[in-house]
Amino acid sequence: MGVRDDQKLATREKVLLAARDLFNDIGYEETTIRAIAERAGVSVGSVFTTFASKAEVLSHVMGHRLGELYTEFDRVAPYLRGTTADRLSSIFAIHYEFETRRVKLFLAHIAASFSPSNEPDVTPFGRNPRLSQMLFDVLQDGVDRGELRPDLNLADVVDVLKATYAWNYRQAAAAGGVGDAPAMTAAMERQIAVIANGWKAA
Amino acid sequence: MSFVSLNIESPSESPLKVTRRALAKQRTRERVLAAARRLFTERGYEGATIRDIAQAAGMSTGAVFASFADKSELFDEILTADYEVLYAQMVQAARSATTVDAALLGLFGVAYSFHLEQLPLLRASIAVSWTRNEAAERRSRTDLKHIFRLIGEVTQRGIDQGQLKSGIDAKLLAEITWDVYVANYRRAVFDGWTTDALLARLAEQLKVIFAGARA
Repeated sequence: MGVRDDQKLATREKVLLAARDLFNDIGYEETTIRAIAERAGVSVGSVFTTFASKAEVLSHVMGHRLGELYTEFDRVAPYLRGTTADRLSSIFAIHYEFETRRVKLFLAHIAASFSPSNEPDVTPFGRNPRLSQMLFDVLQDGVDRGELRPDLNLADVVDVLKATYAWNYRQAAAAGGVGDAPAMTAAMERQIAVIANGWKAA
Repeated sequence: MSFVSLNIESPSESPLKVTRRALAKQRTRERVLAAARRLFTERGYEGATIRDIAQAAGMSTGAVFASFADKSELFDEILTADYEVLYAQMVQAARSATTVDAALLGLFGVAYSFHLEQLPLLRASIAVSWTRNEAAERRSRTDLKHIFRLIGEVTQRGIDQGQLKSGIDAKLLAEITWDVYVANYRRAVFDGWTTDALLARLAEQLKVIFAGARA
């Protein structure tokens, strides 16, 4: 890797870090590219040569964070125990715990997920393949162990779980951007229990 | 006293003046609201400034502020007006259906087709509801309360008619149904799904949500 690539990578890291803090501290809409550049100690031009737009910066900030989270999951996943509902609850509990540390960032991420972006490099919430796959695997395992109905449409269940998971962040939005992970996890557990009532194998 | 006698002398003039002024004010509000609706639809919430809205309405920024305290009040007024029209239709759809699923698909179908007609405005309202002020939060909570009551009515009727079990947690079922209803808008935003496609999806999701609740 050349010096130029090194520099480019360093700029990228600085920009993502500065953006992460600004989005969370003062809000996504309020944060300008100029402010991000200033905080990162780079020129506005170099932000734009690295990212096409603010939406892309947000997407990469989230992707970066999720990278850390899923490295942790890869370690934990084989050790998930209990019923399918228990395992799903654990997965969501870890997500809530992680995301409420910088909850305004996540609220901005959900808000952005309803606005179309033409940039190919933007991954909105709901299109996170890792989360979907993880939920799918846990459900499939439940089917294989005979706990869940074999005719259950797993993709539909994943859809419902993800929608419910995201909507629980309303609590944080309503509280003005303060996330209470245990309360959100408790809500999610009740919601999973309702869905679980319908997936038991005969 | 002179006041009263003036009124007696020409009874029709003074009230007419008031009416004319009230009418003018009402017309100003409507012009601002129409311009704001158009700009919010075209540019989203953040992209439309009060200055732009005033210009589009053909008046001064000051004249806009005489009718509305700030941009968020303007935005809320548009959404509230929409919501009232929409809610009446949702009630109609819910009450005329015979099964729980038909009622839910009916009421959410009304909402999907309404919002798909003006998707950018919906996108702006959802985005704002996640990141912004208390007024937006209060409004959406009030609107939600009505809709949850309506869904509650549907599930209660389902219980009374023996379609659903009696011990179910109707509130939780309503919440989850609402969650997926909102999340599905992403399919419309990103993949251009139609109302029919969204409803077909919702029908499958309702099967998952209500599977354990059916009698």
